[in-house]
Amino acid sequence: MPSLGALALPLAKVGEVSEGFFHERNSETLPCQASSSHLFCFGWAKENIDSFATPTVQQLELVLFSVLAGFVVAIALALLAHRRRWLQAPLLAITGVIYTVPSIAFFFLLLPVTGLGRDTVIVALSAYTLQIIYRNAIAGLANVPAATRDAARGMGLTERQILWRVELPLATPEIVAGLRVAAVSTVALATFAVFVNGGGLGSKIYSQSNLTFPTSIIIAGGIAMLMALAFHLALVGIERYTTPWRRVAAG
Amino acid sequence: MPAAEATDQGSSAVASSVRYENATKRYGESAEAAVEGLNLEVPAGEVCVLVGPSGCGKTTAMRLVNRTVELSEGDVLIGGESVRKRDPARLRREIGYVIQEVGLFPHRTIAENIGTVPQLLGWKKERIAARTRELIELIGLDPELGERYPAQLSGGQQQRVGVARALAADPPVMLMDEPFGAIDPINRERLQNEFLRLQAEIRKTILFVTHDIDEAIKMGDRIAIMRRGGRLAQFATPAELLMAPADEFVEDFVGADRALKRLALMRVADIDLWEAPLAHVGQATAEVRAKLAGAEVPYPLLVDSERRPLGWLSERDLAGETVPARPDSPLGPLLDRDDVMRDALADLLQGEAQYAAVTDRQGRIDGVLSVEIISEFLASPKAKVEENSAVERPRG
Amino acid sequence: MTGALLPPFLPASIGGAIEFIFEPQSSNVTGGKKVGGFETVIELTLNQLEVTLFALALATAIALPIGLYLGHRGIGEVFAVGLGNVGRAVPELALIALMAAVVGVGLLNLTIALTILGIPPILTNAFVGIRQVDRAPVDAAQGMGMTEAEILLKVEMPLAVPTLMAGIRSAAIAIVATATIGPIAGVLTLGDFIINNNVYGANGLLAGGILVALLALSLEAALAGIQRLLTSRGLQLSAT
Repeated sequence: MPSLGALALPLAKVGEVSEGFFHERNSETLPCQASSSHLFCFGWAKENIDSFATPTVQQLELVLFSVLAGFVVAIALALLAHRRRWLQAPLLAITGVIYTVPSIAFFFLLLPVTGLGRDTVIVALSAYTLQIIYRNAIAGLANVPAATRDAARGMGLTERQILWRVELPLATPEIVAGLRVAAVSTVALATFAVFVNGGGLGSKIYSQSNLTFPTSIIIAGGIAMLMALAFHLALVGIERYTTPWRRVAAG
Repeated sequence: MPAAEATDQGSSAVASSVRYENATKRYGESAEAAVEGLNLEVPAGEVCVLVGPSGCGKTTAMRLVNRTVELSEGDVLIGGESVRKRDPARLRREIGYVIQEVGLFPHRTIAENIGTVPQLLGWKKERIAARTRELIELIGLDPELGERYPAQLSGGQQQRVGVARALAADPPVMLMDEPFGAIDPINRERLQNEFLRLQAEIRKTILFVTHDIDEAIKMGDRIAIMRRGGRLAQFATPAELLMAPADEFVEDFVGADRALKRLALMRVADIDLWEAPLAHVGQATAEVRAKLAGAEVPYPLLVDSERRPLGWLSERDLAGETVPARPDSPLGPLLDRDDVMRDALADLLQGEAQYAAVTDRQGRIDGVLSVEIISEFLASPKAKVEENSAVERPRG
Repeated sequence: MTGALLPPFLPASIGGAIEFIFEPQSSNVTGGKKVGGFETVIELTLNQLEVTLFALALATAIALPIGLYLGHRGIGEVFAVGLGNVGRAVPELALIALMAAVVGVGLLNLTIALTILGIPPILTNAFVGIRQVDRAPVDAAQGMGMTEAEILLKVEMPLAVPTLMAGIRSAAIAIVATATIGPIAGVLTLGDFIINNNVYGANGLLAGGILVALLALSLEAALAGIQRLLTSRGLQLSAT
């Protein structure tokens, strides 16, 4: 059975990793972190919380740029494909591939092109948000009732007016939902930036080919989740704001 | 298998009576009940139509029978046995159930859909297959459709399959909730006629819900008009309803055109139709002219070798030596002798034709109908007799 | 930057990466030692696949029944949908790192962490999928006398297959992607080429990226095929 063999090798590697965990510490070493029984060291947290500021800002930047870039391109593509049906199949295939390829792999596929650093991360994450928003946008536009579109045309609106005054507003809930999913997912994915020197909270979780220690991991993870939550709430709010007709219907 | 009732309920081998005893359904704390103390008896083998305005509780009342809505108080007895005593799932397998949206299983073939209840009951595969074949034929569909999926059938076909599915296990009682509601008027008429033909053969006890009084009059052996709270305003045969409405509510509901509605109670077959001289393609026009003299209908009807009508012949057609293959005038409305008079009259008026050919089930010419004939018939004493006879749906 | 994570970046080429995949290479980065090659690639791929499939199976076994039950009964919407949202927000790196640091490293621990990662999308989609099934066939099924279990298994589930499978596929992608950083948790997966690139060199890095991408695409294709098999023809027809 391959798994026994697989177990043997990791066990060999385990020695290396845990050694690093316990012994290869830099000047930040304090007794609290060295002991695995201490899950969270309040002392260390209080003193070193400032060191999280920069990574947090970096993470935020990565997310904002990626989501914005992805959003703009996705909407542009969706509008294009909405009019030209023949584009839909190829675009769907391409976005499907982007969705499937793990971001972390994408980072390294981009290396020869964009090198180490933020750019790689932003390109890869933009691609990821792009495919989510694109698919939601296409679905949202397609879900506009044919009767509504028909009535609009009958009333004398041009195709362009129909798009901007009828179709897009009605597709907004799905688009914003896509934005929401994209933003929340991107916050989590941006932690992988550490593997290509992209900065961000990942550096507080994993650095110099080693894990950091539980307290740091928990704080970094916690900040990331709070950031994700903030995006979630903000976008849910935007969704409600942009669809007043739904608010009324819900009573 | 459904209980064969030999009790005083007077039910036949495959039909049971249904009786509501003070049946009540209350939702939550609301003071007003959806159905309040309903007392109703549907004799075995009859079609009872529950009709009334929206929200009157007719669908709720129907669902009390198969416990898709549970009774708050009172009881419902099928063939004398309380539904409360049965396990709901088992009970429902013995009751045919047809809903407006049909609800065919999109992921199963037509044959599999029809065989659902027999399969639940544990019938052997051969028996299910045989029964399915029988039912597909009964509802007038091509046997090869059995292997298709619902998405491949038209709305009317799906509706028929819904009925077949409900009949599969030969239940003694059937519940139908606006089964023809979602169909266009033309197909609805056809489906109604076919269903009545079917019922004439199988004679099941049927509880039929509709909001359409015309459908109720056409389909029902007995009609229960309900008001809010499932309260019975009148429970009577269609004829009684039309001629002696119990109160103003019933009168309003039945509609001001009661006289015209009486036409729904009679069939084209009830009338003595007039004869039109028949002509065949290639026949000598002189012969046809000879027949014309003294005929009841002053126009010759072109028919094929099977006596199926092809069209009406005009003067121009008869100008030549022989009867042409293509008649000048189109056939116009084509009536069925099983049609109810009301629908026949509507078709006549719509087609703006003076005369309409009436055919039998095989499509062969039976006679000719006109508005004149209808009004003569209505004025005759024979019409009064037809009306007053108790619920006798013409057989076949 | 907290110190260069990678050695001074040497140009990696696709050609170099492909060579890396098939033949053990040596370069000045690796100090002359031969690394890479087909056997290593196969072994790491199998490790990753193995842990992915275990975790996926486990996550499905746990999440699917719960999601189906809640969806059928129509209760627990806040939980089911909320779980999906929360699950999406969890940084996978933090999850794996925390588990490795606190609970320990090893195949079992990694599998459990990955299972946790895979549960939310499967559960949420199971819930939503069942709820979105057309009510008419369900109503008919109940009226015809199917028991609750029969309705769920024979009617609701077949009709919800597209949404259910979408959830499983989503979980599969998340799991295989996260399994890439398995080496952090002591399980040698393809991510080893990436994380320990001081051993494998730039070509190994690129090769790692290519291989992970291919693995993910293959998995997705396989699941798509399974979905097609599970989707009744009647359902496919009514979708068009």
